[in-house]
Amino acid sequence: MTETRPLLEARQVFKGFFGNPVLKGVDIALHPGRVHALLGENGAGKSTLINLLSGALQPDSGAILVDGRPVGRFSPAAARAAGIAVVQQELSLTADLSIAENIGLGAFPRRFGLIDYAALQKGVREVCAMVGLTEPVDMPVADLSLGRRQMVEIAKALFRKPRVLILDEPTSSLSAHEAGILARLIGTLRDRGTALLYISHRLNEVQALCAHVTVLKDGGVTADQSLAGIDGEGLVRLMVGRETGDLFPPRPLAAPGATRISVEKFSAGLVREIGFSARAGEIVGIGGLVGQGQEDLLLGLYGAIPARADHAEVSGLPRLPAHVGEANAAGIVYVPADRKHEGLVLPHSIAANLILPSLGRLARRGFRDRAAEAGLIADLARRLTIKGDVARPVQALSGGNQQKVALAKWLPLDPSILLLNDPTRGVDIETKREIYLMLRAFAAEGRLVILASSDTPELVHLCDRVVVLREGRVAARLSGAAISEEAIVGAAMGIHEQGEAA
Amino acid sequence: MSAIPSSGWLYGAIQRGRNRGLGGLYLVVAAFLVLYAVLFPGILSVSGFSKFTQNWFPLALVTMAQALLMLNGGITLAIGPLVSLGAVIAATTMGGALGVPGGILAVALAGLAIGAVIGAIVAHLRLPAIIVTLAGSFIITGVALILLPRPGGFIPDWLSTTLAGHTPVAFLLLVAILLAWKAFLATPLGIGIYAAGDNPIGAFRSGVPVERVKIVAFALSGLLAALAGLFVAAQTGSGDPVIGTPFTLNSIAAAVLGGVGFLGGKGTMRGAICGSLLLSVMINVMFFLGFPPVAQYVAQGLIIVGAVAVPELLKQWRARR
Repeated sequence: MTETRPLLEARQVFKGFFGNPVLKGVDIALHPGRVHALLGENGAGKSTLINLLSGALQPDSGAILVDGRPVGRFSPAAARAAGIAVVQQELSLTADLSIAENIGLGAFPRRFGLIDYAALQKGVREVCAMVGLTEPVDMPVADLSLGRRQMVEIAKALFRKPRVLILDEPTSSLSAHEAGILARLIGTLRDRGTALLYISHRLNEVQALCAHVTVLKDGGVTADQSLAGIDGEGLVRLMVGRETGDLFPPRPLAAPGATRISVEKFSAGLVREIGFSARAGEIVGIGGLVGQGQEDLLLGLYGAIPARADHAEVSGLPRLPAHVGEANAAGIVYVPADRKHEGLVLPHSIAANLILPSLGRLARRGFRDRAAEAGLIADLARRLTIKGDVARPVQALSGGNQQKVALAKWLPLDPSILLLNDPTRGVDIETKREIYLMLRAFAAEGRLVILASSDTPELVHLCDRVVVLREGRVAARLSGAAISEEAIVGAAMGIHEQGEAA
Repeated sequence: MSAIPSSGWLYGAIQRGRNRGLGGLYLVVAAFLVLYAVLFPGILSVSGFSKFTQNWFPLALVTMAQALLMLNGGITLAIGPLVSLGAVIAATTMGGALGVPGGILAVALAGLAIGAVIGAIVAHLRLPAIIVTLAGSFIITGVALILLPRPGGFIPDWLSTTLAGHTPVAFLLLVAILLAWKAFLATPLGIGIYAAGDNPIGAFRSGVPVERVKIVAFALSGLLAALAGLFVAAQTGSGDPVIGTPFTLNSIAAAVLGGVGFLGGKGTMRGAICGSLLLSVMINVMFFLGFPPVAQYVAQGLIIVGAVAVPELLKQWRARR
């Protein structure tokens, strides 16, 4: 294979947010005429890398090179001038503007300082034809379906005549027909010498379209190689690393207790008619790619979003809880993924956050009972192993310790079911270990822990059973020795559907 | 229409498309105008039409000033004080060495500069526009009171007669300003106001200079408000350091009546202009019909809530069917 000079390159880039390292020395090189796949699980750093390559973010250290030359301060405008275009996962469109204005935005042809609508019309027609958009170009984007908007987004990138085109999960909202058009378009661009970076969770697409792959895991590159001769299982193996150590507490030998949750044909939000049951003393993991219904499953069981089921028994209730108050009364608590916005009152003290759910229970004749509160806070702080002054604002704690506070504030209510949404996201290893011990202790006390997680090792090593969701349905139910990273990732990505699809 | 570039089919189609959803508003405005003409046939004479549009003109300008920012996802509470300051600067400079042209220039520069400073603070320090403009409104009011503690100053009679006499000069000026706005919207920066209002991250990634757009929007908004103040000074023949106060809330009310959304990117300038016309006509009608002031205020409030609620209820009703 002849080596060409890469059009766009990242060399040893580091990037962190608020002290959390996200990329730890990543290299990637995009060559002309090659479709390069970028793979990695949720949170591996893919989006951050794309933002660095497109000038939306600056690396903390390391360099971005265009045509082999390091760029100074990189901005979206500079990236565009260098011929780099990105089709983002979140759309960059303005709903009230027309298709044509959206496509031209930021790159309008001008005449005397004004937008040259005649030239715009011509250019837009061209790129719309390339992506099979037949709608009138004066139509407001608000009138288009999500899939069509995605095609406008792709047309917008093409309008900039890119030398490097980055596609971030472009097919997630496309129909099969539209995905086919995109696949042919990618082939055409590649043959014209465009460098393409393709991010997708659909491994069959990656296999069909891409020649080379870079795999990210926890902010580092774990594979950078040609895709020749690698099948679906091989791709999954590339994505799953090996490292666990003694992070996880041992599973107990005792059999689980009575059934605490039993639902049939349960639907809520994205979740479509699934059956689900869990027993006291279990830790049940919910896995899958981001946004496959994990959160809706928890929220539906919690009574926070409308849900229905043919048959339901939840924590002694003969039906689903109708609202959050009823769920709390039945001993169900929920710890949200977004602890900063939903789980904690950040500027308030640790003590105030810990006491918040118990205020009503501790009050005497409608007034707060400071003495009882102080006793409870001291007790919780000891169980939590939070060191130092509980009068500090909770935002002064690390992410992991914040999460411990968000969890522990529910303990005084003596919950029988804990619904946890990704409790260890952005949490350091040591605190993760403490949280795992806490969760295992809860289960040993006869509580039921349901844990939605984007962290696959956690599902494998902490949970007694794992349910993998894909597009709102159960893709796999795993227990005992059948729980493995390969099985979870494979089910989440629909590897087993590949035969049917192809 | 020489200010608009000839650009064939697409430009016209997009322009027509912007009327979408405004049919109801056009009808209501037309109905009120007919009612007004029936009640007060004087409007049909040149002099009556001139007076009518003179009453409307400053409200139209401040509504544009407000809508410009609301379309960009912001808001300003400094409209009224800027109107007052514009009036005060006009009344204190036009008697000076540079005369009327100097006064107009001073008003325009003050509006642009104050707007740009507020815009720069909002855009670069990422502070909420409502707080920065609230603070700005106190400071601007203070400056106006220092420049002219009591109503007074000097406006040449010929200027008052020209702008606020028996000829439709104000209306022609409004037409000119609207044409200038259309030309601005046909620039990349103008479209950027919409895009950055609706989807700032998307606009930034598309290469729109989101911060510069915001500063320009605030500067133009300041310019329009200050010019409205100059007109009010000409109308009253003097400067008054608190004359602009009611314009702050009326500008928001008129923009909302015209269908401009609070979250940015939603609405049109033509809708906002219609909203200001509607508000102006309503105030006039109620005034001439002898409504007591209390009833006027209550009616105004009910109409504004209704104007926001009716489309929302219609949408829900359609969604249910």
